Amino acid sequence: MRLPDSGPAALMNGSPKFRRTLARVMTVQIVTLLLLWMLQARYTA
Amino acid sequence: MHPINWVIVIGYLVYVVVDGIRRSKGTHEIEGYFLANRNLPWWAVGLSVMATQLSAVTMIGTTGQGATDGMRFVQFYFGLPLAMVILGVTLVPFLHGARVFTAYEYLEKRFGPRTRSLTSLLFLVSRGMSCGAIISAPAIVFSAIFGWPVWMSVTLIGIPTVIYTMIGGVQAVTWADVKQMFLIVGALIAIVVVLLIQLPVSPDEALRIAGATGRLQVFDFSVSATETYTFWSGIIGGTFLSLSYFGTDQSQVQRYLTARSVDEARSSLLMSAYWKIPLQALILLIGVLVFVFYLFQAPPLLFNPAHERTVRSAQAEEFAVIESRYGAALGARAEAARAMAAGRTAPSAFLSADSAVSAVRAEALVLAEQATGTSSRDVNYIMPHFVLNHLPLGFAGIFIAAVMAAAMSTIAAELNSLATATVIDFYRRWIRPQATDAHFLAVSKGATAFWGLFACVVAVFSATLGSLIEVVNRYGSFFYGSILGVFLLAMIPGARAPGAFFGLIAGMSTVAAVSLGAPQISFLWHNVIGAVTVVFVGVVLSALVRGPGSAARAGG
Repeated sequence: MRLPDSGPAALMNGSPKFRRTLARVMTVQIVTLLLLWMLQARYTA
Repeated sequence: MHPINWVIVIGYLVYVVVDGIRRSKGTHEIEGYFLANRNLPWWAVGLSVMATQLSAVTMIGTTGQGATDGMRFVQFYFGLPLAMVILGVTLVPFLHGARVFTAYEYLEKRFGPRTRSLTSLLFLVSRGMSCGAIISAPAIVFSAIFGWPVWMSVTLIGIPTVIYTMIGGVQAVTWADVKQMFLIVGALIAIVVVLLIQLPVSPDEALRIAGATGRLQVFDFSVSATETYTFWSGIIGGTFLSLSYFGTDQSQVQRYLTARSVDEARSSLLMSAYWKIPLQALILLIGVLVFVFYLFQAPPLLFNPAHERTVRSAQAEEFAVIESRYGAALGARAEAARAMAAGRTAPSAFLSADSAVSAVRAEALVLAEQATGTSSRDVNYIMPHFVLNHLPLGFAGIFIAAVMAAAMSTIAAELNSLATATVIDFYRRWIRPQATDAHFLAVSKGATAFWGLFACVVAVFSATLGSLIEVVNRYGSFFYGSILGVFLLAMIPGARAPGAFFGLIAGMSTVAAVSLGAPQISFLWHNVIGAVTVVFVGVVLSALVRGPGSAARAGG
């Protein structure tokens, strides 16, 4: 059985769709952490 | 519980079994039984991954943790999205592209049968025992609440799960997970709505009260290896833990091996990356709101009803005295909370009243420990008490069904993956390599039934096996990071079989030494230590000795 190539280029060969999803995931995380930060800043003495 | 709630619970159990079996199309060969012919849509796989992670302990334990300790536990998940992204570009294409059944099968192609068998065996031992623990946690709570024997609760949760997993294979597991995920999230949202309606203060006032107690303190930036939940342990240790769990644990890997393509497998993992932190924050916030609710509605002195019954009969007088002091302290705290919410007093007055309540409750917990001879920690009983006593008719049934759904989705995935590892990594590899597909399918169903019954027996005897389960879980954490190290090593072109095998043993030994020698170090760091040790030892040994590795890669 042939195994997939392990070179860095092969590992990063996600489709444009995947890269867009990746950007969205990171954006959602940053927004979530900001919201949690605002919750803490507003209500914690 | 009201009969209508029981009708909801029983209706759910019947539905999940019947529908699970109905969904078992294409399970005539082991490829269909274990991997759904690699043809499931990404959203179903993604929901299945999330449902598998969300166990009954999350529903009852994490909400209880939110009520007692606040939101800081959410930091535990900060590394998860990053881990999902890393896995999406590294292990997912490797494993999906290799067309394997188990993650460990891939290791044989890279490092030979010894490393494969060892990692698979470690998985079977730890997951087999933890599956029992996953059933026993809600079963013990149900037994205490409803007064059932533990075996009855275990049967109610375990047997339907074994039936649909055994008959339907991964298709039944995945489609049941999808529905269970909707039920769980629906139940959580319904509880938030009911809580907000029932609270005698506005949401803003409720959050101000909770904030005064420190329960909305999410971030802790302190640099400490001994503090379990900090921003840094979450980001670094949490990333390694998530990489280990989602990248090397068969119960997770098998989910995304069922996806139609590498891109769909990646997308299914990214669903967890999107929703895990918001979902956990919601679950913890529910716990925080339950804490606020109980500021205005008298909570019991002991949330565990079984302990309360025992203490009432064994030390009635002493308990009555504490109870009367508790009532007075609760009244003072409720008044202080109202005054603070209205802006009439400073938070310090409320905090002092809250401390007085905690002090009286601590006395009752000591009493319970003396009377029962067991731990009186009752965090897992806070949410069930709230649900059964304060939610409108029908909601308690939905919540109990959701807790069962959470338990069943996790157990089903684990049983399915345990059967896969047993049949593919051991039976087909070492005992009957040439048998027919029909034979393997029959053995797979038998293996699912065996692991199901094994988990139920472990769950029933969990009280007696308590220390054994703890030992297995503890040793399980010894090799989680180390197994990740082997997979990382597999991606290093020069790594060889002896390096991987002895690196794995070195990694586990190092984590064991750290865990026993410095028990104060948070377990989140164990995964980092294990993975780094395996990679380091593996690379050094590979450079020094020769063995199968590069040749296997090149030859395929």
